[in-house]
Amino acid sequence: MTAELYCHGLSKKLGGRPVLQSLTLDVKAGEVVSLLGASGSGKTTLLRCIAGLMDPDAGTISLDGKTVFGEAQIIPAEKRRIGMVFQDYALWPHMTVASNLAFALKSQRLANAEIQSRVEHALELARLVPLRNRHPSELSGGQQQRVAIARCIAARPSLILFDEPLSNLDAALREDLRTEMMDLVRHEGLTVVYVTHDQSEAMAVSHRIAVMREGMLAQFASPQELYDRPANAFVAGFIGGFSALPRSELGQGHGFLVIRPEDACPADHHSDMTITGSVTARAFLGRCWRLTLEIGNTRVKIDWPAEVNVGQTLSFSLPLDRRLVVNQ
Amino acid sequence: MLHRGLSSRLFNAGNIFRAASTACVFLTFFFLIGLPLLLVVMQVIFPDVFNPTNPNFLMSFGPLGRIFIVPRVYFAILHSVELASLVGILATLLGGSFALIVQRCDIPFRKTVGIIPWIVFLTPAYLKTVAWVLLMSPGGYLAEFGLLPPLTGPLFFAFPGLTLVHALGLFPFATFIIGTALRGLGSEMEDAARLGGVPLWRVWFKINLPLLAPALALSFIAIFAQVLSDFGLASTIARMSNFGVLTYEIYAATSSYPIDFPLAGTQSLVLLFLVTIAVLVDRLLRRKDDLKLISGRSRPSRDYKMGYWRWIVTSFAFFIAFISLILPVGAVIIRAITRTLSDGMALNNFTLTNLLEAGNINSLAFAALSNSLRYAAIASVISCLSAVSLALQLEGPGKFMRSSIMSLALASVAIPGIVFGFGYILMWNRLPLFKDIAFPHYGDASLLITGYVGVAIPYALIVVMSSIGQLAPSLNDSARLFGVGAFRRVMRITLPLIAFSVLTGFILNFIHIMFELPVSQMLIPRTESPAPIYILRLLNYDKDGLACALSLISMMIAGFAALVLWLGFRWLAARNGASNDGKWISAPSLAGDVR
Repeated sequence: MTAELYCHGLSKKLGGRPVLQSLTLDVKAGEVVSLLGASGSGKTTLLRCIAGLMDPDAGTISLDGKTVFGEAQIIPAEKRRIGMVFQDYALWPHMTVASNLAFALKSQRLANAEIQSRVEHALELARLVPLRNRHPSELSGGQQQRVAIARCIAARPSLILFDEPLSNLDAALREDLRTEMMDLVRHEGLTVVYVTHDQSEAMAVSHRIAVMREGMLAQFASPQELYDRPANAFVAGFIGGFSALPRSELGQGHGFLVIRPEDACPADHHSDMTITGSVTARAFLGRCWRLTLEIGNTRVKIDWPAEVNVGQTLSFSLPLDRRLVVNQ
Repeated sequence: MLHRGLSSRLFNAGNIFRAASTACVFLTFFFLIGLPLLLVVMQVIFPDVFNPTNPNFLMSFGPLGRIFIVPRVYFAILHSVELASLVGILATLLGGSFALIVQRCDIPFRKTVGIIPWIVFLTPAYLKTVAWVLLMSPGGYLAEFGLLPPLTGPLFFAFPGLTLVHALGLFPFATFIIGTALRGLGSEMEDAARLGGVPLWRVWFKINLPLLAPALALSFIAIFAQVLSDFGLASTIARMSNFGVLTYEIYAATSSYPIDFPLAGTQSLVLLFLVTIAVLVDRLLRRKDDLKLISGRSRPSRDYKMGYWRWIVTSFAFFIAFISLILPVGAVIIRAITRTLSDGMALNNFTLTNLLEAGNINSLAFAALSNSLRYAAIASVISCLSAVSLALQLEGPGKFMRSSIMSLALASVAIPGIVFGFGYILMWNRLPLFKDIAFPHYGDASLLITGYVGVAIPYALIVVMSSIGQLAPSLNDSARLFGVGAFRRVMRITLPLIAFSVLTGFILNFIHIMFELPVSQMLIPRTESPAPIYILRLLNYDKDGLACALSLISMMIAGFAALVLWLGFRWLAARNGASNDGKWISAPSLAGDVR
């Protein structure tokens, strides 16, 4: 049921502007990969190319070794066996929950018994049995999201694409549904490509994260690796609210020093490298204070155990093993 | 299952089918709208091109020159512009006041006041015209009650009366346009100014009115174009007042002896030119970014507390309702149930003869009514089916194609029916090849129905395309990804979701065609006349009682048919999970779990 995905050298221009630039990405069977990036970084375009809703200008896409897009052949979206959970869920509003699940299966001319069994399985898995006869307008946002996932599960696609499925929900509901959604995905062992611009969401759901920038992969690695070893200042800035301080500000030459807020220690702990700046803002987070320091022309965020007034000068240090230097 | 390579995709069956469909879209538009208008222009440039005895392509600007030479022509142009401008201003003021009352004022009977413009809008224009003639004639109802001061009659059957009747009929356009803008305006900007100590009157002059300026301008332009295109008042009160306007002069040039096609063409071209300017200004205004200022995120506005003034404001609203709706419709009803106008409301003058004759299935009046019902049903079905198929074809091609067809449809709506009618006469009575076609044929009901379809398609297309445009692309994309084929997607996803809009388009077109006058007048069939033409004939033969009875019965039957269709669909839709207004809610609810 689940499949490997391989995209090679994908390029796409929209309105003359390159949106994907020779992008290569592989997703193993049963793996959850997030495409993380700012608006306009090309993540949704990549997702739509994989789905077949948009054709790349160049490159190949293969699913389980079979080319679905390439010079030789293009398999249309309706034949790729790819499921997608849209940002607005795209539930057909004039059909009940059960009809939403069964509609595509009927179009594939499956036997009635098979359709019924798949629908029942998906409804049970998504805890939607009591809601089976409701229309989408009678469901809450969270319930609608479960229907969208159940619809994919019933169709048994080789790959599921999630297009920012939590962005329509409020913060409290988002975390609960994220856990619930990924439980369903893992239970079925599905291969997933998940688009988001929220790094904490990507960290929580993914085996690997592809950080995208201007249609290219800035880094493609596991959440831990991205956290520990961001490839450059852009990735560091995108992940975890890290700050990238030009080493020139410290009189240490080229490159950027990655400062993770939680790594900041009092200056005397690691006195071989102390960093001094002026506090420009502060916020109480409960277990610590989040301070914003101005160091030269750069603003750096650190977590600090004690209250410090705005305007005060503060020195801090970093442990030796947390002093990561990256390029632009 | 598999498509071949990228290069061969340009030539595959799907693309050829799509190209053919696109060509069909343009051909349909061309034959129904483009070619008739082109022939009007040709008639002006080549005056003898449709001369039945000696047709030739000799170019001459003589007909155009008649604009400045023949007093009747230049007066008609001046009258039309003068009337359209003044009505545009008056109706915008009146409709704007109504919008302000409904949107912002804390008045009693607010919902009732809000419905008034809709009823005025849906009442056939010529019915109101007939009513005003009945009311304002020297022996009319107002004179009978002593409510017609001396000199009012002569003044009414002249420019002031025309202006008043037009403004009372068209103010709903302004109410709708300005009302929408007022809803979008919210009260944040007004609140900000008032908190800064700016008095309310200054807030209106310096903040609200400048922000509403585009809506005011749009309202003026829409009403200006409507007055220019009007044929109902032009052929009744204006004709009786000897106040020639372009639409009636075009009709006169094509129907009086000797027929003067070059003159009709010239006047049509002038009318088209004026309407085109109005449409262009309208398009430009709608594109202006600052219009976005008054839509979107604003919070709902607060009502003005009117105090004792609210009774005065409410009285004003009901006074407008009385003179724009109750008085004219009442006059038509009374005339329908009385023998003669001169005997007024004397008890022995009341009779059911007119209504019985109009409702008698063997009478000529009822035959005309059933003809209109048949024509309206056929033309509405064809126009809606064509609009749906055209709109679905346009789902595939790019945004440019969709927006250009939409612009074409919007522009076509503004083309005066009389010009359409004249173009159809040239095409189907004079143009070789077309004049010999048996179906549709000039002088037959088939051509009248074709004309109705030409007039109705742009309306239907606007309604259907707007509705398809509101469907989230993801609804279709998701079905595609689940392997649902194109035909099944259209039948099971798109059509059920736009069904309500298609029905709305059908009902609007049905009512519009039932009471359509200019195209009916120009393409009048030799037999089986439609009701509007029969009613005009009755009025010309002083059988205004029967004319009013037939108008009333037409209105009631058309209204009843529309209501039954609408309620039937709502019932059907509600059983299938639609919300109360027959539309399905597609946006996800943002609230937490409700159950």
